[in-house]
Amino acid sequence: MRVRAQVLGGYPRPRHVRRALRAAERGEADWTSVSRALEAASAAVIGVQVASGLDVVVDGLLDWHDIFRPFASMWRNVTPTALLRYFDNNFFYRIPLFTAEPEPTEPVLAPRARTYAPLAEPARLKAIVPGPVTFALMSEVRGGLKREELAEAIARLLAEEARLAVEAGAGFLQIDEPILGDPEVGEDEARLAADLASEIASKSGAPESMVAVYFYPPDRRVYEALASARVDYVMVDMVDASGRGLDVVAEAGPARRGVAAGLIDARSIYRDRYERVRDAAARLAKALSDGMDLILTTSTWLDLIPYSYSVKKTRLLGLYAERIAEDLGVEFTGGWGVG
Amino acid sequence: MASYQVPRKFPTTVVGSYPKLGPAEEAIRRRKKGEISEEEFHRIARDAIKMVVEDYLWAGVDIISDGEQTREDMVVYFAERLEGYSPGDWVRVFDNVYFRKPVVTGRISWRQPMIIDDWEYARSISGGRPVKVILTGPYTMLEWSFDLHYGDRREMIFDLAKAIRREIEEAVARGAEYVQVDEPALSTRPFREEAELLKEALEIVFNGIPAKRIVHICFGRLERILPYILDYPVDQFDLEMKNSNFRLLPYLKEYGFDKELGFGVVDVHSFQVESVEEIKAAIDMLMKADIIGPEKVYIDPDCGLKRLPREIARQKLRNMVEAARLAREEW
Repeated sequence: MRVRAQVLGGYPRPRHVRRALRAAERGEADWTSVSRALEAASAAVIGVQVASGLDVVVDGLLDWHDIFRPFASMWRNVTPTALLRYFDNNFFYRIPLFTAEPEPTEPVLAPRARTYAPLAEPARLKAIVPGPVTFALMSEVRGGLKREELAEAIARLLAEEARLAVEAGAGFLQIDEPILGDPEVGEDEARLAADLASEIASKSGAPESMVAVYFYPPDRRVYEALASARVDYVMVDMVDASGRGLDVVAEAGPARRGVAAGLIDARSIYRDRYERVRDAAARLAKALSDGMDLILTTSTWLDLIPYSYSVKKTRLLGLYAERIAEDLGVEFTGGWGVG
Repeated sequence: MASYQVPRKFPTTVVGSYPKLGPAEEAIRRRKKGEISEEEFHRIARDAIKMVVEDYLWAGVDIISDGEQTREDMVVYFAERLEGYSPGDWVRVFDNVYFRKPVVTGRISWRQPMIIDDWEYARSISGGRPVKVILTGPYTMLEWSFDLHYGDRREMIFDLAKAIRREIEEAVARGAEYVQVDEPALSTRPFREEAELLKEALEIVFNGIPAKRIVHICFGRLERILPYILDYPVDQFDLEMKNSNFRLLPYLKEYGFDKELGFGVVDVHSFQVESVEEIKAAIDMLMKADIIGPEKVYIDPDCGLKRLPREIARQKLRNMVEAARLAREEW
């Protein structure tokens, strides 16, 4: 068994990026200065992750206003519209409005993979897509399109997005399905999500893939459906709902290649207690067989806390993963041969 | 002060916030830069409050608010004025819009009146119409702050509840008749234990308060926790209904809802102005569902109007008032 660490998703924007964006939006600066600020800030968050011993890193997704926006803005037949609360956060996303089946234009993920994958070495860059079921259920749909058909259409586009991102250098694929933590999500939605995640992952050709469920843990049936998908890991939020996600995963067992445990609280600025994280990791380790991985990760994206704390949480994640590997007497993949 | 007779059936009201108007934006900007004192801040914002009240009167709303013109954010405003909070760092609300998410770094307590000045001013120009006292509730303050002091949610929410009650007592002593606490965070975590936690907090906030006690809850899956909130110590539940296509109505019927209902009939997320007929049809639907009588129904928007353009907000309110008037004739 190996212990690995990775941040789940996007980072908050540092001040200089917020300012550059605001200036460009007001017409007081050109978008070249925004691009420069974004590239510098993305390089910085990649550097923090690599230095913290994370073997898979994200570019921070600093230009994304919400998880759906880049796709809703780029595809035909979909437009970002009014604001709506994003799960239980004091954060709002723009509801994508689909008027017909979406059609691709330019790729969203591939250009960033091309830019940032080389900066991530020796780690690998992760490509992140919204899960098609979450995307479809959190959108407004007009024109007689059924939700399931929409989810399938979204999945086809995301599979191509992911394939191009992998071709451009991404080494890990993450499919976010936070809506599957909703207690009212049924087995039908879970099975659909599993089928579509399988399709995206297999068509992408990504060396590793993961479905992520956060903000609330999935119930056992939903988790089992996802764990049976053709993805390598299912990430579960083990912080919210009093850590109930830990019970679900420890009892139901890992996905194909291991477990991704959201044990570092990405929505609070408390320093997570090492003992809590270690004990949970030790419990999960018992469910893993030789050759499997325990991926320690954040309970959700880090973009819901201030930038300075996102850096601290990243550092903590790497530190704890390394200590847990030591305590369990197993390999930590992010050591980079140092020490 | 002039007197105003609130209609016995289907009085119209607002949830609270209104689009931020020029003088308020200016006051907020200058206060942030430290250019003006708290007193000057509220004085400058009065021009905006006056415009809001004029819009309400033009629309014909019966029970109004100050439009929450001085509140840049519903949590930050109170956090900046309560003991125990520190400013915190920037966190995104939407797009590239950020706010300083407050951090609790000490024991929370009431320091001095927070909203009284704006409320009293609105009241002085309302032509006798009642003005709601509106505060962010303890559960929402708890959920949308970072905590570095308590490490215990119960302890923190009860201190918040005590501080909020202190502000309410101040308002009631000055004649407040309608007191509303806003709890949008509750429906985002619709679980029994959360509903019960808020109930305990609301008992601290409201028990023995001699005014109409209202809790506003919006969006999310409220039906999941409806059985656990119906005995909250309030006179009125003010609920978003239009945006969720009145999904909650059968549940209210099923659970024997018998308190007053603030019935949200205007979608605050849509720029499309609901027609009088559309709003009237919603009121008819409620009446036909035979849950409560018309004297227990307050007609209002789903939530605060702050994200709408002013002209759309005005027109939505005007149509709402006209629909309520027609409903009064029929029911």
